[in-house]
This record gives sequence, structure tokens and C-alpha cells, in this order.
Amino acid sequence: MERRNFLKAALLGSIAGAVQLKPENVFARESKEAPGQNDLVAVMGGEPEVMYKRGIAAMGGMKAFVKKGQKVVVKPNIGWDKKPEFAANTNPQLVAAIVKDCLAAGASEVVVFDHTCDEWQACYKNSGIEAAAKAAGAKIAFAHDEKYYKEVDLPMGLRLKKAKIHESIIEADVWINVPVLKNHGGAKMTMSMKNYMGIVWDRGYWHANDLQQCIADCATYSKKPVLNIVDAYRIMTQNGPKGKTTNDVVLAKAMFISSDIVAADTAALKFFNQFREMKMEDVSHIGKAAKFNIGTTDLDSIKVERIKI
Amino acid sequence: MYKFLKKGRVAVSILITVAVTLAFLFFSNRETDIFNGFLKIQFVPALLGVFTGSAIILVLLTALTLLFGRVYCSTICPLGTLQDATSRTASLFKSKKSRRFKYSAPKNLMRYLILGAAGIPLIFGSSAVIAFLDPYSNYGKISSEITGRLEQYVHNLLSTVFPDTIFFRSYSVFIAGSFIFALAFLILVLAMSALRGRLYCNTICPVGTLLGLVSKFAAFKPEINRESCNKCTLCVTNCKAECIDLTNSTIDESRCVGCLNCMTVCKKGAVTYKYSWKKSGEKNEVTANAASEPVPASSGRRDALITMGLVGTFLAVKAVGKVAPLAAKPKKDGIAPPGALSIDNLKSNCTACQACVTACPNGIIKPATGEYGTDGLLMPVLSFDKHFCGYDCNVCTQVCPNGALVPLEIEEKRLTQIGKVRFNLKKCIVFTDKTDCGACDEHCPTKAITMIPWGDEGLFIPKVNRNICIGCGGCEYVCPAKEKAMIVEPNEVHAIAQKPKEEKQEKVKVDEFGF
Repeated sequence: MERRNFLKAALLGSIAGAVQLKPENVFARESKEAPGQNDLVAVMGGEPEVMYKRGIAAMGGMKAFVKKGQKVVVKPNIGWDKKPEFAANTNPQLVAAIVKDCLAAGASEVVVFDHTCDEWQACYKNSGIEAAAKAAGAKIAFAHDEKYYKEVDLPMGLRLKKAKIHESIIEADVWINVPVLKNHGGAKMTMSMKNYMGIVWDRGYWHANDLQQCIADCATYSKKPVLNIVDAYRIMTQNGPKGKTTNDVVLAKAMFISSDIVAADTAALKFFNQFREMKMEDVSHIGKAAKFNIGTTDLDSIKVERIKI
Repeated sequence: MYKFLKKGRVAVSILITVAVTLAFLFFSNRETDIFNGFLKIQFVPALLGVFTGSAIILVLLTALTLLFGRVYCSTICPLGTLQDATSRTASLFKSKKSRRFKYSAPKNLMRYLILGAAGIPLIFGSSAVIAFLDPYSNYGKISSEITGRLEQYVHNLLSTVFPDTIFFRSYSVFIAGSFIFALAFLILVLAMSALRGRLYCNTICPVGTLLGLVSKFAAFKPEINRESCNKCTLCVTNCKAECIDLTNSTIDESRCVGCLNCMTVCKKGAVTYKYSWKKSGEKNEVTANAASEPVPASSGRRDALITMGLVGTFLAVKAVGKVAPLAAKPKKDGIAPPGALSIDNLKSNCTACQACVTACPNGIIKPATGEYGTDGLLMPVLSFDKHFCGYDCNVCTQVCPNGALVPLEIEEKRLTQIGKVRFNLKKCIVFTDKTDCGACDEHCPTKAITMIPWGDEGLFIPKVNRNICIGCGGCEYVCPAKEKAMIVEPNEVHAIAQKPKEEKQEKVKVDEFGF
């Protein structure tokens, strides 16, 4: 029974992945020819919900990404047992706003989860995300045991060729990647691509096998997020990714939205660099991902809209 | 009246047993600590925790015994209730004849030897023997290893039925020795109680023996009225303590657990509680009547006085805090949970009830096998194989009923150094593979580990400040190297770590996007 379901899901998943890959590539090429459609939107100066509202409108609205009846996953960073003001996790208000918007766009269900680092129940609770997402109408998925993960192939990966990915991503029609912008001791920065570490089971393998390469490898997974929404409302500029005190946090009030994961991370890094020096080449997973042609680091080559509130 | 009292006793005993059992089950101990309060009213935890807040409970338990004898054994002790339930269930499958209890002579030599074996090491600062004999702690082991595991299987079965609402629980660490002891002990107790009622309590249990000695001085003792008794033996056949001797019309109060069965079944109302603290003159009259009493009352009282002297010594030694360790070179390779203060303190006060083992939300506390040596078997030791100690968690220190782990506030816990990490550069991924890693730094809650520039390839390598390390094991757990580059070394005596430095940042005004 379970095996059959699994095979079905895997099959559907791969079809969905293949179908999705196409329009995105087409979309990427055609974007320059279709005026009015932004490739990246950067917003600054508002509360999370306000920035999100303005940003998603400039991207063409959630209906451009979530179709009626689709199963959606919203994947925030809930890695740590920390309250929202520590900025170790994605802002709960932003997560709630996205969930509501997906449901308004006609999503049949919205699932929120993360493979946490600290004890999962404490993370879900103290991040404020579980409560906010549930109140907004999302389902919270469990992700603390290997049982919830299924192996997928990453044919493009150089070091990471297979990964066990959370079943809700595999089963979803679309997923939205909602990282928080932080300094990171190992990966230097954590943004959209680094947020993939919360959809896989075995993170230790990444650390042991060229972390930067594995981050880029995983971003080649066929089912890509339809949107990457980088939360930079509060950013952790030092002692990341867990942080010690609120002294590590700066209220930056910004947000970056793009379907191009490399562009989203490039923009977020350049923004972060104004607070604390961070070189592109040190965060080498961005360049490595660009080499896979899954996105661009050249922000001048795409249509960017900057919104100040 | 006795019928009413008995119903009350049964109700209270079931309530306490259920609460104690729940305290060991995941779903109840996770969100609430109300059940853990019931662990603190147990006798051995109260005795060991006498200087860590349990003095009142010890006084109350002693007073209770001085008033009514060993009622502790049939109301508060969960193992006692388990035995009563077993005995009762077994009687349903027995013939009418074999269902009846008979009087049996006390096995005093065995009782006092076991009491000595369990009690004397306590004076010398070792709870190693009592850890295997204390009824509450062994009930805890059964709850943790048998009931708790069963509950986990049921929980996980339910999680496949309701995958969205009930989460799958990763199976807890299995320590064969701990499981086998709990199972063997359970079988022993079940068999003994199924066959002979409270035989375990009256031959092996050191708490039963000790309270039995106190009961010799009880104010109210069960007595048989020789005039109204017609020797129908109904009381004897219903006495699960097998302590009613109708030949002499006496009840051995040191073995009577105050279950009230005899008083409720006697049709003549001949068995009742009698006030025994009479003036000596009246007393002599009573004893004069019982001319054929086999054991002179004085001998029992002498034993009792000796024992109480030893309990007094224990309390005195504990109060002074001078403890002579039993082993010359005790083994201390394990990391004791926060609140243990030191491995010596743990070994003096822990009875391995496993309350902390089951309460740990991260499942990192396991019963020790060899980490603390033979005098620390099954006591809690941390293992960072599956997880690490939560920075904002103090659950284990809150549930320990013995004071083997003293309660720590979150603020204290964050500075309690249970061990210190040692970094082995040669095993570090950054050193061996020349690639970024930083998993340890990522998990370090105090930033005892920071990443500093290393080599010319833009790599960063961990740097350790052991003064602010608290030994939580986040780095050890997460280190992806085949042989861990980060290993936490235990602190024999827990220390207070230095407070992590506050790093204020200069305010940068940013109005642009930066691209």
C-alpha cells in the first residue's frame, strides 16, 4: 500500500517537476521580452506583511505562481529554538501572510515545515511560526524523523547525487522558499539555497562533502520553488546562524522576491554587504549554482523593481 | 468505617500509581510537570532529597508511619499497588483453596541483611545498592523501559493512522542492560505477588523493612480482640502480607501494610486499630494477658532502635556533607546531566529511577552502563550520538525527585558547565578536505566556537574558547567528520562557565538596496 502510494507520488512528483522545469526556463528567457513582468522585486522600509503585499503585487500576484486546487508548501527557516526577535528563524508574520495569500489564490492546502536543528517542538513553538501558520490556515508537517523523507536523484549534482527530501515537497504541486537572511559560520551566508538544508534529512553529508558545492548541487533538484522570498526584516549580521542575543540582530526592513534563486541570493547578499562586509566569492555556493545555469548573478541582465515604502 | 477507609485507600493508591506512571510517559511529561510532583512524595526520594527541599515530605511520611504503620506501602508506593493489582488479578485464576493466604513466619535475617546492604552504603555516600532495591525507583525503571516503550509503539502505530495530527516518535536509545534489569525485576515482582501477595515487600524491600521497624512504634496498631474473635480465619486468608498469626492472636505490625482487608472481612468486628501509646501500667496489663507471646517485644524494638540510629547517622553525615567515597579511584568517564553538581553527588543521591531519562525532550539521557563504574550503574549519563542538550531546556533538573539533579533556573542552566569541548584539528573537515563546514559553530549556543580565517583559500576553521563552553554537545553531535573533531570531556565537578561576551554592533544606516 505504502509502496504503491510512494511510487505514485514519486511518479507524479517527477512529472510535476518536469512540467514545471519547462515553463520556468521558457519564462526566464522570455522575461526580457515581456515588459511589466519583473524577475526580481526588492522591497524596503515596511512591516513584513506590507512589504510582502507590495512585493508580490509587483511580481504579478500570487495567482501567477499558485493555481487553483494546487497543493502548496511554504518552507520557512525554523531551525532554532529562538523567539522572532532573535532573527534566527523566518518572520512568522511573513509566513502567515504568504499562507493566506496562497489560500486566497485557490491553493487546496498549504503545508509549512522545516527540518529543525534544535529540538523540533521547541523550534516550531518558540519561533512563533507554528501558531501563525496554523492561524493563517496552513497545515504543519512533521519533519523530525527520517521516516518523513524520500530519496530523490540529483543528476546534475557534483558531490550530492542523491538526497532524502521531505515528502511534503515531493507531494506538493508547488513550493515557496522563505529563508531569513543571516550570517552563517559555515556557509558564510544563509539565504534561499542554504534553506534547502531544511528540506533534506542528512545534512551531515553536506558538511562532510564540500558544503558549498552540496548547497549548489541541491538547488538543482528538479522541483524548484516557484518563488524565493528572502526575509530581511530583521537580519542577523554576526554569530549566525543561531545567534546569541538580540545584539546580533539589525532591523533592516527589507525583502527580496524572485523565481530565480541565484538572483534572489545575489541581491540579498549585496544588501547584507552594506551592514557587514561579505564577498560574493566567499559565499561560493552562489557562483557554483550560477555555473549550473539555474539562475544568474548578473542583476543588470534581469528586470528588477525596487520599491521603497 | 473500615470499608469506607479501604475504598479511600484503594482510590488514593490508584491515583498515585497512575500519576507516577504518567510522569514516565512521553505524552504527559512533555507538556506538564504536574505528574512529577508525585515522584517527590516517595520515601527514598524524600530521604535522599531531605536537604534539597524534601524534608517536609520525609517528616510527613515518618509521621504517617508513626501514626498508622506502613500505610505508605499500600497507598503511596506504586510498586505496592502494582503488586496488589497482580495479586488480585491472579486470584481470579486460582482455585478457591489456593486463593487463600496463610500465615508465614517473618524472614527477619533476610530482611535486615538486605536493609543493611542497601542502607549502609548510603552512609558512605553511595546510592549504588539502593538504586536496585528502592521500590519507587524500580517502578520507575519498569515505567521507563517497559510501559514507556509500549506506549511509544502504540503512539507510533497511531501516527500511521493519523499521520497529520500525531507525529512519529523516533525510538529512544535502547540500553540492553537497563531493559533486562527492568524486565527481570518486573517478572520477579509479578511472580512473587501472584503467588504470595506482599511477599516481596516483606522479604526484600528495604523500604518495607525500614518502615516496618518504625511501625513497631506506631500509635495505632491493628489488633485482634480475643474475646470477640471466633478464629474463623477469614482475616488470615485475606491477609496478603501473611502477617496474622491466629494461634497467638497477634498481627505482626512490622509486616502489616495497613491494607485494611482483615478489618473489612471480619464478621465479628474483632480486628481493629487500637491506640497503643498507653501509659506503661496499662501496657503491662495487656502484655501480661498475652503470656504466650513468642518473641519478646523488646527484641524487635532493639532492632528498630539500631536501624533508626543508622538512619540518623546517614542524615548526620549528609548534613555535614562529609562523604567517604567507597571506591578509591571512582570511574568518571560520563557526562552527568546539568544539576548533578558533580559525579560524586550523582552517585550519592541518584537511585536510577529514570525520570530524567524519559523526561529529556532531546532523548540524550541514557542509563549508564560502564561510564561511571560499577557504583554508578543505570544512573543518567549524556550521550550526544542522537542529539545535544538544549540551551533553553532545564527539564531534567526539574523532574528529579531525589535532588540528585538539583533544580536549575534557565539562566543558571545556560552557564552550567557539565563538560568542556576539545577540538582535534587533524580530524576537522576543513583541515582534511579543505572545504567549508562550520557545523559546530552553527550549533554552538554560547559561541565558544567561532570560525576564524584559515589558509589562503577563504576557508574558516573553528576556534574554541573553553571558558565559555558549557558542554552541551551541539558541536560533538553535529560534527560530520568520521572521527569527531569535537569531543566534550566531562567535568567531574560541574563548573560555572564564563558569561559569553556581549558584542554590540555599530549602527550602520542603510537606505539603499546595495545593487
